[in-house]
Amino acid sequence: MTPPTPDDIRRRIAAILDVAEERATPEADLADLVADSFRLVEMAIEIQDDYDVMFGQQDVARLRTVGDLAALVHSRLGAGSSP
Amino acid sequence: MSLSDDELFVLSYYRSSEINGSLFFGRLARVLKPGPVQHDLTKHFADEAQHAWYWTRCIDELGSRPLKLAEAYQDRYLEAAGLPLNLMEVLAITLVFERRVINQYAKHLALPGLAPQIGATIGRIMEDERWHVQWVRDALAGLEERFGKDHVDATLRRYREADREVYADTLAEYEQRLGFLSSGLDHRSAP
Repeated sequence: MTPPTPDDIRRRIAAILDVAEERATPEADLADLVADSFRLVEMAIEIQDDYDVMFGQQDVARLRTVGDLAALVHSRLGAGSSP
Repeated sequence: MSLSDDELFVLSYYRSSEINGSLFFGRLARVLKPGPVQHDLTKHFADEAQHAWYWTRCIDELGSRPLKLAEAYQDRYLEAAGLPLNLMEVLAITLVFERRVINQYAKHLALPGLAPQIGATIGRIMEDERWHVQWVRDALAGLEERFGKDHVDATLRRYREADREVYADTLAEYEQRLGFLSSGLDHRSAP
């Protein structure tokens, strides 16, 4: 099975957040895509479940955009470099 | 027996905190994968909603109406501790918070001259709270293999520190209203 690309992960992030893929560009600020900050918690848990990866406070301290998150998940899958 | 303004504030604060707890667990229950944690967390969500109802009914029976409060304990808690980012962190913050809740309710229950309605409400809630601590502790132990015991322990320590800060700050801010609960107690003791 082909490992997901950062763009696959970006589309999954859009689906979890229930926003149009066109809005969830790599440059899009995650905070701008959610109604409240707790939605980011839900999304973090879902995306870790989906890809069977883990990340913690240190990993996300510098996360800001959809692209940052997609890169983090991608790196955890062993398919790329750390963000 | 009627409620003083301070008592009404405290019971309303409990009610708001139970509502926030219910909303927190309800949202998590919606996104977790099926399994034992989803099962127990969904029950936990239902319990917190029920507790909010118990407080609403208790306040009503004592001839008052719940105050509409702008914030609950959890708001400060998450602000101080940071938003949990995985299931282990969710369970760790929950365990620390539930122990604080039991501690707080036990202090209230020990007050002399407590209205029977309040005592009965706390007693009913405490039965559920003991199970909450039990299931969360067991679930956390089950995650130690995946996350590492040291990491789980460090996460619990981080949340305990935040809890102590928030509790002390809350008591200080609401000193006048909570004074009848806190007199003679060590505000900074661990839960």
